[in-house]
Amino acid sequence: MKSQKLIARLLTAVCASSLLLGASAHAADYPTKQVEVIVPFAAGGGTDLVTRAFADAAKKYLPKPMGVVNKTGGGGAVGLSEIVTARPDGYKIGTGTVEIAMLPHMGLVQFTTDDFTPIARLNAEPSAISVKADAPWNSYEEFMAYAKANPGKVRIGNSGTGAIWHLAAEALADKTGTKFNHIPYDGANPAVTALLGGHIEAVTVSPAEVVSHVAAGKIKLLAVMADQRQAGFDKVPTLKEKGVDLTIMTWRGIVAPKKTPKDVQEALRAAAKKTAEDPAFKESLAKMNLSHAYLDGPAFKVAMDKDNAFFKALMTKLGIAK
Amino acid sequence: MQELDLLMNGFAALLHQPFALLLSVVGVAVGIVIGAMPGLTATMGVAILLPFTFGMDPVSGLLMISGVFFGGIYGGSITAILLKIPGTPAAAATAIDGFELTRQGKAGIALGTATFSSFIGGTLSIIVLVFMAPLLASVALEFSASETFALAVFGLSIIASISGESLVKGLIAGFVGLLISTVGLDPMGGFPRFTGGFTELMSVPFIPVMIGLFAAAEAFKAMEESGVLKNKAAALGRIIPPWSSYKRMLGTVLRSTGLGIFIGAIPGAGADIAAFVSYNEAKRFSKTPENFGKGELSAVAACESGANGCTGGALLPMLTLGIPGDAVTAVMLGALTLQGLQPGPLLFKEHSDLVFTLFAGMLFCYVVMLIMGLGCLRFMGKILQMPKSILTPAILALCVVGTYAINNSMFDIGIMLIAGVIGYFMQKWDFPPSPIVLALIMGPMAESSFRRALSLSSGSYDFLYTRPITAAFLLIALSTLFYPVFRRYQKKRQQRGLQLAAENGAA
Repeated sequence: MKSQKLIARLLTAVCASSLLLGASAHAADYPTKQVEVIVPFAAGGGTDLVTRAFADAAKKYLPKPMGVVNKTGGGGAVGLSEIVTARPDGYKIGTGTVEIAMLPHMGLVQFTTDDFTPIARLNAEPSAISVKADAPWNSYEEFMAYAKANPGKVRIGNSGTGAIWHLAAEALADKTGTKFNHIPYDGANPAVTALLGGHIEAVTVSPAEVVSHVAAGKIKLLAVMADQRQAGFDKVPTLKEKGVDLTIMTWRGIVAPKKTPKDVQEALRAAAKKTAEDPAFKESLAKMNLSHAYLDGPAFKVAMDKDNAFFKALMTKLGIAK
Repeated sequence: MQELDLLMNGFAALLHQPFALLLSVVGVAVGIVIGAMPGLTATMGVAILLPFTFGMDPVSGLLMISGVFFGGIYGGSITAILLKIPGTPAAAATAIDGFELTRQGKAGIALGTATFSSFIGGTLSIIVLVFMAPLLASVALEFSASETFALAVFGLSIIASISGESLVKGLIAGFVGLLISTVGLDPMGGFPRFTGGFTELMSVPFIPVMIGLFAAAEAFKAMEESGVLKNKAAALGRIIPPWSSYKRMLGTVLRSTGLGIFIGAIPGAGADIAAFVSYNEAKRFSKTPENFGKGELSAVAACESGANGCTGGALLPMLTLGIPGDAVTAVMLGALTLQGLQPGPLLFKEHSDLVFTLFAGMLFCYVVMLIMGLGCLRFMGKILQMPKSILTPAILALCVVGTYAINNSMFDIGIMLIAGVIGYFMQKWDFPPSPIVLALIMGPMAESSFRRALSLSSGSYDFLYTRPITAAFLLIALSTLFYPVFRRYQKKRQQRGLQLAAENGAA
C-alpha cells in the first residue's frame, strides 16, 4: 500500500513538473535547459578550443550552461550535417567553420550554406605564405619569381585536398598564373613539420599555426592573404599590398539550424555578442594566438555567402566541385 | 651534468607544490581508468581534461595531463590481459599473449610484469627526454613521407609474427584489414571511397572495429559457456614477478623502451605502432619464438615497455621543436600554448625552471603509476571471479558505451556490433584478430605516405632506394615477412635430415 501511494505521488510530481516545463518551454525564457554546442572537429583542436572558451565565457550571459559535444569525421561533414538536421529549438546549435562554404560544392554533404542561421562569427585566420627561415627567398616577390621560373618545382604543403589551405594555395596559383606542386597532409601541423624538415618549400597555413616556429627563428612569413596586416605580424605584407586581390580566411562562429525561431535567434545573438566582447574570452583567444574577429549574425551571413560564391567558382575551376 | 642540477632543482620546486602533486596523482588515476575502458583512449582523456587546466597554474595543469597520458597508455593493458579487451589500440598487442597467460592462470604475473615494464619504459623515456632531448629531436625532422611509408610497411610485415598458428590465415586477416582501411575519404584526392553515401564512413572507423573484434567477439563467445569461469583462470596468482624471471626479460624491456622512444619521436607514429614493433623485435631476438602467441611473459613486457617508452619519445620533439610526436602530444601542445608556453627551442631557455619541474613531476607520475598499478591489481583481479552471467553483459555494455563515447555516434555502435559478430566467427575458425587491427593502423599510413612521397618526388619512384632510412626499413620489412617461411623451410629440412639419418641408420 505504502509503495503504491509513493508511486502515485511520484507520478503526480512527474506530471506536474512536465506541465511546468511544458509551459516554460516558451521561447521568451530561452534557454530553460542546457544548450548543446556541436563541434565538427576533434577535442583539443583550434575549433574545439574556441568553442570551449566561448562556452566557458557564455556562462555569465546565459541562464543555463552550454555543453560542448565533438562530432568528428569527414573533414567536418559529420558534425555540420548534425547541426543542420537538429531540431530547430535552439537547444542544439554548433560551431560553424569555413567548411560550410566548401563542402556543399564537393557533393559530400546534403546541406547548403543556406541551411544554417549564422549567430556570431568569433574568430578568423587568414592564410599565410610561410617558408623556412633559411630559404633563399626573403620576400613575396622573390618567392613568386622563383616559382614562376620553375613551374611545378615549388612544393606547397596544405592541410588536405579540398581543405581551406589547399584552396588558398590553388587560388594564389590561379590569380598569379603560377604552377605549384600541392602536397596534402593530415592537417596543418604535419605540413608545418614537413616544412621544418625541409621536405617541402612552403606552407599556406594560418600565422597562428606557425607562430611558435616564427618566434624560434625557424620559419618566416612572406605574405598574408588578409585585408589588413595581422596583429603580431606587423611587418608581414598582405597580398593586396603586393597587387594580388586575394583574401582567404578560415573562420569559426556559432551557427544554428535554419528554422530556429526568431526570438531564440535574438536571445542567442545577444548572449553571443556579450560573450564575444567579454575580456575573459578575448584573453583565451589571445593565449591561443587566435585572432578575435567578431561579426554579428547578419554581417556573418554576408561574409559566409561571399565565401560560398568564391569557393564555388574556385572549386569549379579546379575541377574539385561536383 | 647541468641537466642533473636542474632536475634536482625541479624536484625541490615540486615539493613546494602539493597541489601539483595531488593533481598528478588524480591524473594518473583518471588515466588508468580511461585507458582500461574500451573506446576511451589516452588522447581522448587528455582532450577531455584540457578545459579543466585553463584555470590552473602551468605545472599543475600540465602534470595532470601528463598523468592522464601515462596512466592511459598503461591502463589499456589491464583489461587487455584480464579480459582480452584492449582499452587502447596499443594494448591490442599486449592482449595477444597477456590473455593467454590469464587463461593459464597467470593473470597476476602478467599484470605485474606489464606494470613494471610500463614503469621502466616510461621512466627511462623521461630520463632520455631530460638528458638527450636536443640530440634526438632531429630524428623527427628527418622523417619525410617516404620514411613514414617504409615504417608503415615494416609495421604491416609484423602481421607475419602475430599471426599465430597459420601465416596464411594471418595474412588473410591482414588483407581484410587493409581493405577496410580503404573505406573513407581518399587521403590525397579528398573524395569519398566505399562510403555508400554515409557521411559517418568518411573516416575509417578504426576503434569501433577494434572493440568489436576483440571485446564484443570475446563476449559473444563467453555467452556460449555458462557458469563461473572456474578452475585455473579464476586465480590471479602472484603479482610481482620474481626477480630471477624478470632479469631474463630486462634485455627485452630495454630494447623495447629504446624502440618506443624512437617511434614516439617520429611524428604521426604513436604507442600502438611502438607496441607492435616491440612485440615483433622481442620475438625476433627471443630464444623461444615459438612460445609467442601462446602466453609468453616477455611479449607482455615488450609491448608495455615499448608503449610507455613512446610517452617520453613523443614529448621530445613536442617540447624541443613544437612538433607533436603523436596524437596525445598534439593535444598537449594546445595545453602548453594555453598556458602561455610556446613549445620549441626557446622553451628550454626562457622557462628552464618550469620545464625541469615538469620533468621531475613526470618522473613522479610514473612512480605514482607503479604504486597505484600494483595496489589496484588485486582488486582488478576480482573481475576474474565475477560470474559470467554478470561479466559478459557488463562487457557488452562497456563496449557500447565506449564506442559511443568516441564520436557520440550510434552509427559507430552498429559498426562495433557487426565487427563483433565477424570477430566471433573469426575466433571459431582460428583467424587472429590482431592483424586486422594492425592493418587498420598501418594501412592508411602506408597509403597516404606512399602517395605523398610520390607527389613530393614528382612521380619518381627513386625514393624507395635512394633514401637510407627508407631502404633500411623496407629491407627489415622483407626479412620480417619471410623469416617465418624461411624457418619453416629450415625445420622441414632438419626433419627430413633426421628422417634420412634414421633410415640410413636402419639400413
